[in-house]
Amino acid sequence: MATEEEGLSAQTGRAVLSLATDVGGAAVLAGRLLRRMAPPRLDGPELWRNLHRMGVRSLPIVGVTALFTGGIMVIQAGVLIRRFGAEGLLGWGAGFATLREVGPILIALMFSGRVGANNTAELATMTVTEQIDALETLAIDPLSYLILPRVIAMVVMLFVLTIYGDVLALTGAAFMGDALLGVSTATFWNGFLETIRVWDMATGLIKSALFGGVIALSSSHFGLAVTGGAPGVGRAVNASVVASATGIFVCDYLATYVLQ
Amino acid sequence: MIEVTKVWKRFAAPVLCDVTLTVPTGCLYGLIGPGAAGKSVLLKCLAGLLRPERGSVRLFGQAIEALDEVSLQAVRNRVGMLFQNNALFDHLTVAENIAFPMRRRGITDESVIAARVADRLRAVSLAGFEQRLPGGLSGGQKKRVGVARATVTRAEVVLYDEPAAGLDPVTSQKIFDLLRREQQEAGATVVMVSSDIDRLLTVTDRVGMMLDGALIFDGTTAEAKGSLHPVVKQFVHGEVDGPL
Repeated sequence: MATEEEGLSAQTGRAVLSLATDVGGAAVLAGRLLRRMAPPRLDGPELWRNLHRMGVRSLPIVGVTALFTGGIMVIQAGVLIRRFGAEGLLGWGAGFATLREVGPILIALMFSGRVGANNTAELATMTVTEQIDALETLAIDPLSYLILPRVIAMVVMLFVLTIYGDVLALTGAAFMGDALLGVSTATFWNGFLETIRVWDMATGLIKSALFGGVIALSSSHFGLAVTGGAPGVGRAVNASVVASATGIFVCDYLATYVLQ
Repeated sequence: MIEVTKVWKRFAAPVLCDVTLTVPTGCLYGLIGPGAAGKSVLLKCLAGLLRPERGSVRLFGQAIEALDEVSLQAVRNRVGMLFQNNALFDHLTVAENIAFPMRRRGITDESVIAARVADRLRAVSLAGFEQRLPGGLSGGQKKRVGVARATVTRAEVVLYDEPAAGLDPVTSQKIFDLLRREQQEAGATVVMVSSDIDRLLTVTDRVGMMLDGALIFDGTTAEAKGSLHPVVKQFVHGEVDGPL
């Protein structure tokens, strides 16, 4: 029994230490990146390359996710809308949920799975194959050349993709409302425009920028801190995806509380 | 000149223990020893990639562990390195990989870059591979591209970590001869880690042997070959029986 208790406390201690190491590591990385932003020290071509591959190439998957999300919200709400004859509230309900919560969260999770995981895998592979060391021996600062462009690209593109996804999710909701509930698109958009405030949209976009930062820091930290060769790359990707998703929800909770 | 003085470095366990070593300017220094002896870690300390916990590493008269980031980058501009895993950039072609150090050092004349890249590729018998990506190369070809990149700027100090690993005997000897020729032409100071002892000793001026993080032998190539130190003797001559 004593041994089991000791084992449990040791495991708990290791888990807490590991969490502190990773959160601390990501915070230190954030500090080092901030130092490189004043004045900006980053590689321009690398920034454009990342904006394209992280943002433009994410358009199809984000678009499909958003369209279906809007449709699903209407299907779920359909029963209540019909029961209470609240068709006029469909635009408000879909808009409020999409802009403040569902849009930023789902798009961030998709982005984390597609871009964050890919970023960790790339950086981890570069680390274990000594490409990061090679950059340093060539007198190139890996944070300025490699990491900062990726972090900026992720924050900017998740922000832009959230706007794009919100529009598509609302379009999907309006279409499904018309097809399933007989709520005309004019009624939907009138309900939306009369009740949704700019702050509702701003809240979601502030969250998306925070989520972008969480994904960028988490995926970069785990990519750079990898150890253990090729198996370590797999472990780093797994840890990065889990940490990003957890970070997104923790951040969402705090942001929702603060930005009410 | 490279001066290493009483350097200590540890990860989970000590990997460098009180290493003191001097490599004279223009010398090709071979670093030998069994696996996990600390050779690659010492090379990374020389390149400023790892900072020793104690002791000093001096390159070009400067203690690099005490340099700030900007000063360290200035030192690194004078150093070339070949990594054990080659460290080729996956997203760049062979030509772009080789040209990378030149571009980063401010060479912008494309004709000069192209000529130098072609020269390096001929030297490692890979002419015509300019547009290939590293992912499409064999292990030996990657190694040769790594050698081409490490030698493209004719750096004053060059560090090679296993330059012939994975190469056939003929290509291996060609690479050692090429590196020796390059070193003599450029007057560079070279530290070379290799497990291919027989071929390594055909090109070195001096040899050091590491064991369990310590430098147990430092002398000329002839002295290494004739050493009576039981570990050095066994390792250099590849004897089965002995303390190792």
